[in-house]
Amino acid sequence: MKQITVSNVDKIYNPTKENAFYALKQISFEVDAGEIVILKGVSGSGKSTLLSLIGGLSKPSSGDIIVEGEAIAKLPDRLASRYRHERVGFIFQSFNLLNGLNVYQNVMAPLMLSEWSGSQMEAKIDQALQIANIAHKKGQKVSDLSGGEKQRCAIARALVMNPPIILADEPTANLDTHNSLMFIEILKTFKAMGKTVLIATHDVLFEETDVIDRCIHMKDGAMVV
Amino acid sequence: MFSKNLIEYAVILLFKDRADHLFSFTIFTFIVSLLSAVLFVSDAIRSDLTGAAQFGPDIVVENTLAGRAYKLNEEDRESIADLAGVSAVEGDVEGYYYFSQQRVWFHLIGDSSLSLREMSVGEGVKEAMKLWHYDDAFNFFSMQGKITLKMVKTESKQTNILSNDVIFMHPANVRAILGFKVDEYSKLLVTVPNPSEVGDITLKIVQLLPTVKATSKEDIQASFRHLFYYKGGIFMILYWVCMLAFLILLKNQISLAYGEKKKEIAILRSIGYAIKDIIALKFIQNAVVAFSAFLLGVLIAYMYVFLFQAPLLRAIFLGSELGRSVEFTPIVDLNLLFLLFVFSVIPFLAFVIIPSWKIAIADMSEAVR
Repeated sequence: MKQITVSNVDKIYNPTKENAFYALKQISFEVDAGEIVILKGVSGSGKSTLLSLIGGLSKPSSGDIIVEGEAIAKLPDRLASRYRHERVGFIFQSFNLLNGLNVYQNVMAPLMLSEWSGSQMEAKIDQALQIANIAHKKGQKVSDLSGGEKQRCAIARALVMNPPIILADEPTANLDTHNSLMFIEILKTFKAMGKTVLIATHDVLFEETDVIDRCIHMKDGAMVV
Repeated sequence: MFSKNLIEYAVILLFKDRADHLFSFTIFTFIVSLLSAVLFVSDAIRSDLTGAAQFGPDIVVENTLAGRAYKLNEEDRESIADLAGVSAVEGDVEGYYYFSQQRVWFHLIGDSSLSLREMSVGEGVKEAMKLWHYDDAFNFFSMQGKITLKMVKTESKQTNILSNDVIFMHPANVRAILGFKVDEYSKLLVTVPNPSEVGDITLKIVQLLPTVKATSKEDIQASFRHLFYYKGGIFMILYWVCMLAFLILLKNQISLAYGEKKKEIAILRSIGYAIKDIIALKFIQNAVVAFSAFLLGVLIAYMYVFLFQAPLLRAIFLGSELGRSVEFTPIVDLNLLFLLFVFSVIPFLAFVIIPSWKIAIADMSEAVR
């Protein structure tokens, strides 16, 4: 079943000015539910821009992005926010955790938009922390964590709402080989959970694993066939 | 309006940024307490003055020529008493007596209810006399020799604004000490039963005796109301201090939406927070700070003025040596307090919510990379 359909998507920065820049040109592809897809390319090839469009963080200049039958590029802020909240989990290169809060408080952030009770939230947070293997650090400030631990905290936060889609932007760029391999191990868990995963990366470690279903190569904002 | 979970998370974020919020809280409390203290002091003074004037005569007549006071006589009193609409005219003697040891002036006022050996004094007078061991009685020196009066009563603290430097004594004693003859008065107190006739009669008195100044009760109350109008230089300085502190506060408020906070907003947006949720978070955090700082500021001002009797500020308002013993009556003008709330809390909230909203509506994809 097609879960994500990207059709003729362009993303142009400063479109009306002389320095107009085509970050994405006529991108089209489809991703099945449960598929793990790599967006591969050098820095500036448009991988992160494409992920931010699929995640509803920004809107394409033209073209459509259909996720589970809904054109997310046309959603108003309230519905786009709900889409990010319920259907997408983000894992960022720089982790993007809220400094000053502990692991538990970071993971609870998405849940605070819901009406769940304290005990329901606690159960969901504990489950996400277990999957990401960071439960033992839940009371610790994120600023005191190592890079790998921060990454696992970010994974727990991405999973806590149990979204069907996980988007990871250069998830291993700030990790050593050991922690990068641990992330690839977590991908197997995602696979087992039936998550659809899109990863923007140029890390060769991903090429050596059999958990990846497909690789989309990108160069200068376009797909390379 | 806001979900319980969102309020809880706003409080968690508030504690996370407690250093920034503590700065805002401290400055805001300082501003509110300073302004509230000024309001409380001026309200208490105005209330005491207008309250005291309420029980005064309908018209007070004084004889002034080229700005100096002259005595009125029995003939003047009788001519005013003959005016239609006037029910009574009472001659009053009062004036100032210099207490050279302490270098202060006492205000002597005639009061027929006191005997020839008694006097009733204001708090300031009592303290000044006590410093020179006049605990129960005081010796006045007059053209007729020494007059010793026993202190039988101290005036109510609620009327201290007016009675602080006052000594009430039998009119005969005032005459003796200040050198007034039996048919001479310093003031004439006119009673007019019909309030609507007071204006006309005031005018008639001035026509009858062109050198006199006739002041109605309403005029006296109006002058009291304007006495502590917030225009004086010292108040302007206080207000400028508050304005400067408020600008520093607002700058700090804006910074709560930029820098690291800008990224924080982008992170929250990326995990599903809508623009309204971001605004709600910022509103809750800053409303907690603003409301608690406002309440604390008002409480501090209340205690400072009415419990500790406004040290430092009282000298600005009352000035005189005797003014030290004035006790402020607890009066709170809720309308002014509400205005202070509106003009402080709303800008405080706006200066963090508007920048936060501007950040929240921007493309967040670059900020979270």
